[in-house]
Amino acid sequence: MKIIKFHLNNKPVVVRADPSMRLLDLLRIHLHMTGVKEGCGEGACGACSVLVDGVCYDSCLTPVANIIGKHVVTIEGFRNTKQYRRIADAFADFGASQCGFCTPGMILNTYALLKKNPHPSEEEVRIALSGNLCRCTGYNAIVKAVLEVAEKGGEW
Amino acid sequence: MVNHHIPSSLKEALKILDAHDCYIMAGGTDLMVVKHQRSGLLPNFDKDVCYISNLKELQYIYEDEKGVHIGAGTKYIDIQENNLVPDLLKQIIDELASPNIRNMATLAGNVANASPAGDSIVGLYLLDAKLELVNVHGSRIVPIEDFIFGVRKIHRHKNELIKEIFIPHHDDLNTYWRKVGSRAAESISKVTFAGGYELDDDKVTDLRMAFGSVSVTVVRDREIEKKYIGLTIDEIHEKADEIVEDMEKYITPITDQRSTKEYRLKVSKNILKDFLLSIE
Repeated sequence: MKIIKFHLNNKPVVVRADPSMRLLDLLRIHLHMTGVKEGCGEGACGACSVLVDGVCYDSCLTPVANIIGKHVVTIEGFRNTKQYRRIADAFADFGASQCGFCTPGMILNTYALLKKNPHPSEEEVRIALSGNLCRCTGYNAIVKAVLEVAEKGGEW
Repeated sequence: MVNHHIPSSLKEALKILDAHDCYIMAGGTDLMVVKHQRSGLLPNFDKDVCYISNLKELQYIYEDEKGVHIGAGTKYIDIQENNLVPDLLKQIIDELASPNIRNMATLAGNVANASPAGDSIVGLYLLDAKLELVNVHGSRIVPIEDFIFGVRKIHRHKNELIKEIFIPHHDDLNTYWRKVGSRAAESISKVTFAGGYELDDDKVTDLRMAFGSVSVTVVRDREIEKKYIGLTIDEIHEKADEIVEDMEKYITPITDQRSTKEYRLKVSKNILKDFLLSIE
């Protein structure tokens, strides 16, 4: 066990944890951030995406040792932002969420994309979301929603 | 009892590696899959772990007159976005894993993992990459093909760490890349091929061919390449089938969950021929 210090959703956090613990387990089981979903558990589905210093990581493959001193944002933290509202509204408008299991990861990856590239092409959107699987086959609706938010513009 | 070491400097990391036999954890994208048990359980590490992901000293890219130096802690995303990096390597990274994995994983980790299907390793073989390994006593430079010797087998002494990957300048090398996988993103390759050539008018002054996923390591044979260097473009085109035949002895794929050996062999030969005929 080691002392692990980092920022979670803009608040400092200090936990005692085994450094090899998956960030996913720390967040879900110990810190009750259940918006972080576990799909495949091997880095193939993106449901466990979280922002680490502004870019998306698969939390299932991240040992907590790797987030020491970093800023982690989950969907619980991101939902309090204007950017979340704009993305979530577009997802609702286009029916881009059905069962919702992939949605936190889709939304965080959408944000990471738009922050870097506010006016992506359709291909760039598909590449940015290529690590996020949706089993309700909602890709077209999701891509349309992302292009719509980008089209509307605004600060990211 | 397994201990977890989180050094705060390279020097400290090397002392730890000198004293303990450790798994070296960078981005975690291979090790955390291999050691995963199930939800809520800790990964089952059977020896100590040394975490190097936060060592800033290993995160750099710079060039000198000889080539480009990529620090072992540099993430794929930072390599992909850097202008000093050869196009071939960028092209490989574009098709590698997923955006999240590219944010986390390192090139050196792909090398150390030494999977026959490690895509970036194929590019490193083609570009004559060398590794700098360091320990508490000093450092040594090893060509990548002398470092990897089997499926997940590398010549790393227990107290050594890959410090950087060095890629010599190849300003006139034209490169070619093909990855065959089941889908565009996140696929573990069935076959990969990197080719390279240089021309002086219509004369081929350098020729390189490297395959991944078709043998226990990436395969490249400089003797075969030398046989054809110096020929004209037309002669290379005429001899394309002969070159494919020469390389065939190295294409010894297996049948596994991703593909069959017959498919892999056929596709490998087709890709090699396509590369040779693309030289112009």
